[in-house]
Amino acid sequence: MSEFTVGKRQRRLLWGISVPMALIALTCVYPVFFALNNALKSNREYILDRFGIVSEPTFQNFVQAWTRSNLSEYFFNSVVVTVLSVLALIIVSSLAGFALAVLRFPLRKLIFVVILASLMIPVQVVLVPFYKTIIGLGLLNTRAGLILSYTAFFLPFSVYLMTSFYSGLPRELVEAARIDGAKLTQVWWHVMLPMGMPALITLGILNTLYCWNDILISLLVLQDNRTLMVGIAALRGEYTTNVPLLTAGIVLAAAPIVILYLVFQRKIVSGIAVGAVKG
Amino acid sequence: MSNISITDLRKSYGQVEVIHGVSLDIEPGEFVVFVGPSGCGKSTLLRMIAGLEDITDGDLEIGGTLMNDVEPAQRGIAMVFQSYALYPHMTVADNMSFGLRMAHAPKDEIDRKVKDAARILQLEPLLDRKPAALSGGQRQRVAIGRAIVRDPDVFLFDEPLSNLDAELRVEMRVQIAKLHRTLSNTMIYVTHDQTEAMTLADRIVVLRAGHIEQVGTPIELYEDPDNAFVAGFIGSPRMNFLNARANGPKSVEVAGRTIPLPNLTADLRDGTALQLGIRPEHLDATDGVRLMMDVDVAEDLGATTFVHGTVGGETLVAERRAHVGNAVRELEICFAPDKVRLFDPDGARVR
Ligand SMILES: Nc1ncnc2c1ncn2[C@@H]1O[C@H](COP(=O)(O)OP(=O)(O)OP(=O)(O)O)[C@@H](O)[C@H]1O
Ligand SMILES: [Mg+2]
Repeated sequence: MSEFTVGKRQRRLLWGISVPMALIALTCVYPVFFALNNALKSNREYILDRFGIVSEPTFQNFVQAWTRSNLSEYFFNSVVVTVLSVLALIIVSSLAGFALAVLRFPLRKLIFVVILASLMIPVQVVLVPFYKTIIGLGLLNTRAGLILSYTAFFLPFSVYLMTSFYSGLPRELVEAARIDGAKLTQVWWHVMLPMGMPALITLGILNTLYCWNDILISLLVLQDNRTLMVGIAALRGEYTTNVPLLTAGIVLAAAPIVILYLVFQRKIVSGIAVGAVKG
Repeated sequence: MSNISITDLRKSYGQVEVIHGVSLDIEPGEFVVFVGPSGCGKSTLLRMIAGLEDITDGDLEIGGTLMNDVEPAQRGIAMVFQSYALYPHMTVADNMSFGLRMAHAPKDEIDRKVKDAARILQLEPLLDRKPAALSGGQRQRVAIGRAIVRDPDVFLFDEPLSNLDAELRVEMRVQIAKLHRTLSNTMIYVTHDQTEAMTLADRIVVLRAGHIEQVGTPIELYEDPDNAFVAGFIGSPRMNFLNARANGPKSVEVAGRTIPLPNLTADLRDGTALQLGIRPEHLDATDGVRLMMDVDVAEDLGATTFVHGTVGGETLVAERRAHVGNAVRELEICFAPDKVRLFDPDGARVR
């Protein structure tokens, strides 16, 4: 009897929380709507009615952004840089996590502490030495330079995450593989990499977002050429801004990320079977 | 098949030594069980044999070859872990063939060996499943299958059954015994379940705090323990210990009763404090020393009853192959003097 009343009260509480939460969620949806809506307007229609729903949809803005504003080129840059950076991040952090979590070697703890410490230094603090290093290495205005920079800046967190993840796996898995005659590289490839998939997918998504959305590092390293986000930021004029053109660019930039997320979300749900240890 | 020879093996973690010089010879094809209380070093010893822990000092030979610094994969061993340690992203077949694939064995050989092992362990219908879709017992069979496929000289088991429920444990125990008969490999098996030790072992090694207490066949350890620790560890329920005092060269006094012990080789000194050990199953004799026991609880298991109580203030368990009933307040126990084992106060056997 008392259980029933508690259930009722909890349900009421749930509703009480759900409504404001839904409203907050809606405020997140509005900018998306704003961007899509205005990207489909002509500049004239936008000036006449900023907030109204588009009446004569046109893809003119997309075409213009893609061709005349060089976004196609920037887009290509971003894809290359993001894909290669994320690949490097995943491979290196999985290797480093494996080593730090499983192998025993001198200074292991110190190395881990240094990595943790570098996690706490914001990019802005090291901009000047970073910039000088990039120039010194002759990597200014190269995609390789940007890939290297992203990998370096986002690596501490990735390594930290993979180390914690691998530390949570039963040691026996690696030991069984060693008894089965697997070399270290084979243990990594056949056991650690597949076992690390849940964490690696998370890292992949996070790092893709960071690399794709970055402006600061990209602005410093690629000064002639540009990545997509820098290119879009440049669509804003000094005195006037073609808002439909800008929003079209934003939609173009956001689309790959949204698609990626949808694809991988299904992958995460279909799941990595976990059953190594009696659960 | 391989013999294993361990000489004065030691293991330290930093400054702390946990295995204090263990020596042991294991015959080819022998089934040896390590038993002992938690933390006594059973797993550490097994893992040193497997090559998963460095050997701090001493020699380990397998098949006549010094193995101290040899890679685990090169020692001719296979190991079954308590947690099964199956690769969750691989099917049962892939789990079992992993070692052969790492060694780049030909595909038909891999298929044949996996099939053979699957047949022995009745895993054929499960070969395409992932470990997550298996029951605990099935997972353990896969783990054993993975060991069989490697065709090792020596099988190492670290508490392989302790994650299973009681019924399954009995079933798997029988399977492992059968497996040993079929393959006749050398096997080393770690457990703290003394039933597993008694039923599986050719020889039992009793460990305590990094030392070997006694090595012998199950019957030797049961009948002729070297010390009170082994006497108490082997046998279930454990042996009863009563305070005794020598009152003649070949007799002791317990609870005011004199017990003649004509089989003793040593002569006792009058007044020496001793411990008298007598197993619960030996308190049901028709002839011998009789004592009255004050009953606390009678645990009736159906076929047998364990009666817990006290004699002269000391706790005691007696076994009765009959229903005793809960109303009983007093029970006469009776034991033959030749079933008595004597120990000195430090636990060493007095023969
Ligand atoms: N990595 C380690 N560092 C320090 N001490 C350790 C380490 N591993 C084990 N020990 C110690 O070594 C001793 C033996 O451990 P071991 O795991 O061999 O015990 P065990 O007999 O297998 O016990 P159980 O029945 O609980 O499995 C224990 O006292 C343990 O605390
Ligand atoms: Mg153990």
